[in-house]
Amino acid sequence: VTHARQQRQLSAYLDGELTAQETEEVRAHLADCATCRTELAQLRSVKVLLGRLPERSAPQDLWAALRAQVDQPAETWIASVSRVVRGAFRRPALAVAAAALIAVLVAVPLIRGRLDRLRAAELGPELYVHEHALAAAADPFFDRAYLGLLISDASLALVGAPREEPKGTR
Amino acid sequence: MMRTVVIVTLWLATALAVPGFGAPVRLPAPSAQDVVAAMLTAPSRVDYEATKVLTAVHQDRAETVTVRESYKRLGHLRLEFLSPESVAGRMLIDDGASVWQYEPSQYLVIHGPSFVRSPDGSPSADDILRSSLVVVVGTEEVIGRQTIVVAIEPRDGGASRRYWVDQATGVILRTEERDATGEIVFTSFFTRISFGLNLPSALFRFTPPAGARVIALYLSGDAVQTPEALRHEAGVTVPSTLPYGYHFRAGTVARYGALSAASATYTDGLRTLTVFQTAASRMAFPQVGVPVKMGTASARLLDLGYFRVMIWQSRGINYALAGNLPVPALLLVADKLTAQRP
Repeated sequence: VTHARQQRQLSAYLDGELTAQETEEVRAHLADCATCRTELAQLRSVKVLLGRLPERSAPQDLWAALRAQVDQPAETWIASVSRVVRGAFRRPALAVAAAALIAVLVAVPLIRGRLDRLRAAELGPELYVHEHALAAAADPFFDRAYLGLLISDASLALVGAPREEPKGTR
Repeated sequence: MMRTVVIVTLWLATALAVPGFGAPVRLPAPSAQDVVAAMLTAPSRVDYEATKVLTAVHQDRAETVTVRESYKRLGHLRLEFLSPESVAGRMLIDDGASVWQYEPSQYLVIHGPSFVRSPDGSPSADDILRSSLVVVVGTEEVIGRQTIVVAIEPRDGGASRRYWVDQATGVILRTEERDATGEIVFTSFFTRISFGLNLPSALFRFTPPAGARVIALYLSGDAVQTPEALRHEAGVTVPSTLPYGYHFRAGTVARYGALSAASATYTDGLRTLTVFQTAASRMAFPQVGVPVKMGTASARLLDLGYFRVMIWQSRGINYALAGNLPVPALLLVADKLTAQRP
């Protein structure tokens, strides 16, 4: 752990940015660590090489260009959308995928609503029978065994397991 | 020997000379009020275990079902269906709070609301005598037990029921219902019955078999007591009375999945009629049963034998009418319902 920490300090050690105590610690580590000594030598070479490069001044119009970008008003959402659309036309596959996604998002609730309506039409009569039979149970003299039969038949049909229709006269 | 012959001769002479002497002792028939009161209180006084045969007319044929029925106070009911084959093995256990239905062919258990009403919530004998005509017809023997035969029909006429009421317990041993034309549409009778068996409570408890699919099926919402309350609850308009002497009894909103229907229950004092309303935008028109002509609209009729369901559509609402009125009467009620909508 000490080796890794001292290794990370090498660049700062070379630039004279460490405290006196940290400088002493790195120096003591360098005395014992050949790897760090090699790395320090390489860092020193790079520093010497960089120091030999000539200085270049920034182009005269750089600040003017930056200032123009900063002062430009923010893009409106319409402009953003038209830029995206223009971009999409430049990429047809992306445009088709986006259109398909929108179509799916619109169609799913519509299809689901239609399926729910159809499913409700299938279940409706069973729900009516079930609820009517339960309401008929308030009649104190109605035959409870027959009510039980009606309610259980309707319950089975509601949960999707209807009793088989009787065949012929029993 | 001589003495015995003299006694028998004297008895015969007296029996022939005095009308009624020697005949079995006949108690005066109880009043209609007493019989109805006995029928109403029987579920709170008697337990029994019995076999029952039910027959309901279904279009041009009759469907007969045999069931083993056990009842324990208060409101505990166990039904084991024996025949026909399509229901054999089916079991219903109602513990008074909820009902468990077991369908062995599907390995399926359905858990739903109880359909056994406690005697506390029942109408009184006075209520029944006010809304219906009750006549004690006579006495008859049913499966070896003495019964009082009582006929009940709504004050506005129509269907009628006849009950054979066990004189000792008040339990209905036999039922017969006729439509307005006098045709029998439903019968039920016990082929054997045992009273006072002290049936164990465990008989009325249900534990789903291991691995069986259990489905909870609670549909009805909380009941409301007036048409106005139902309008507030469900946004539908229902009248307080219907033709044939039916008056509003209760309303609720029943929901199952995406389907919901406002239901209003009416009674003529004997039978029940239920009106359902569902938004057509939420439910396609059900193509069930057979088509029937209703004014300018088309309607469908589902004939379940003992009762019928008529469905029609008007101004964005799917209506349904469930009851045991004959078809012309259902059509008349349907017209009235459609016309009263603002």
